[in-house]
Amino acid sequence: MSQGNRITVDARGIACPGPITELIKAYRNAKNGDVIEVWATDPGFEPDVKAWISRTGNQLVELRKEQDKIIAVIKVTAKR
Amino acid sequence: MGSVKKRVVIVGGGTGGLVLANRLPKDEFEVMVVDKQPYNYFLPWLLYIAFKGSRKPIKREITTLIKPWVNFIQSGARLINLNDRYVELENGKRLGYDYLVVATGATVDYSKIPGLSKVIDLYGNYHSNEENAWKVWRTINSIKEGTLAFILAYERYRCPPSPLEGVLLADEYLREMGVRDKVKVVYATSYPRPYPAEPMNEVVEPILKERGIEVTTFFTLDSIDADKGVAYSVEGEELKFNAAIVIPPHIGVNIKYNPDNVLDPDGFVLADKDTNRIKGFDDAFVIGDASALPVAKTGVTAHLQATVVAKILTGGYARNTGRTHCPFDMGYGLGTFVISDGTHGTVKYPPNRVNHLFKMAFASSYWSMLKYPELWDPLMEAYFNATAPEKLKNIYG
Repeated sequence: MSQGNRITVDARGIACPGPITELIKAYRNAKNGDVIEVWATDPGFEPDVKAWISRTGNQLVELRKEQDKIIAVIKVTAKR
Repeated sequence: MGSVKKRVVIVGGGTGGLVLANRLPKDEFEVMVVDKQPYNYFLPWLLYIAFKGSRKPIKREITTLIKPWVNFIQSGARLINLNDRYVELENGKRLGYDYLVVATGATVDYSKIPGLSKVIDLYGNYHSNEENAWKVWRTINSIKEGTLAFILAYERYRCPPSPLEGVLLADEYLREMGVRDKVKVVYATSYPRPYPAEPMNEVVEPILKERGIEVTTFFTLDSIDADKGVAYSVEGEELKFNAAIVIPPHIGVNIKYNPDNVLDPDGFVLADKDTNRIKGFDDAFVIGDASALPVAKTGVTAHLQATVVAKILTGGYARNTGRTHCPFDMGYGLGTFVISDGTHGTVKYPPNRVNHLFKMAFASSYWSMLKYPELWDPLMEAYFNATAPEKLKNIYG
């Protein structure tokens, strides 16, 4: 449980709402303790992922912008 | 031009398959369409069976929709061998090809959500077949009180506006029947907002509010219990209902591939987003709902991709623009289109009556468009130009 899997989701080049769809797809198959890292280029992803975190209660480990992408690192903690 | 015709095998006689078959010049290509069913279905009309009880026929025989020089074999395909360039039919016969086009569409898979089969059995759906669409019609005619829930079950489904089209048409019909004050209409979606793309959501959300439709966002369906009347989300929430119309998970059709790494986990075929070439192959393409590309699963997409592939096969240069043009019926004779392309986000396009008329005109011309692309192309081209996202964005934002 403490050491989960790390899942990387590359949603670059996919327009809104693609990146959040890709996150939900990964989340559906994830377990508590897993870490999901999403790469996106769509600027709409940032507010979407924040809203998703506050609604679902999972943990946003990191949300940062690099030159060519937005990276969100999420620890799955709220699956029932 | 060489004297030997290129042999093109098209698997699937839906929108994309037939538009492509009918476009390829007969002096250059020998075209074979394979489909396990004898019919082409106009699936968008399931919406009007489900919410208006429409009896307009939704299928036509493929043999009446293809040019006289296009061949048709009614058979399922069990294997597509990209390495050895053949399609194996149900009876074991192998069709070799110079070019292959996979246009097999999508199918629904209830087994992804525990309890879903029973819910569909009771209340129907409008994303699979006529029988289930008629069940929806019976559902909305029999509910007199309680909660009617619409639930988007999965990330992949045909026609992005269709869940909310159903919600809005149900609202209209329940009002007409005079029971809307006793029936709560709820829409549950895994997205952060009712319509996934923000600009269109700015159009839709106020309309949902005005019509008294409740929306539950971030509701990713995990399982559903028909007996208890409860849907459970991955996020840990419960939604109680008296009747539930679920937009079911869509997956690729059950055909084996060699190599099998051209399929994604849902059975959709991986493709190059510009040319629709199947990943790793120059002589094989996938168009429409069958592809794993993150683009809208709609007839318009299939139609435009078929046009691109036809151009590539005839030696021209063509690339997908990512253009969408999804008709969106909002009830009460109002409609809009969800319009975007690869370089322009979705247009904030408010509904009007003319757009609804366009949707109906398109539905009425559908089979003619498949059979005679050469007659409809100038009109369609002018129409797509006139409604290009960069032009509409100047007006509507």
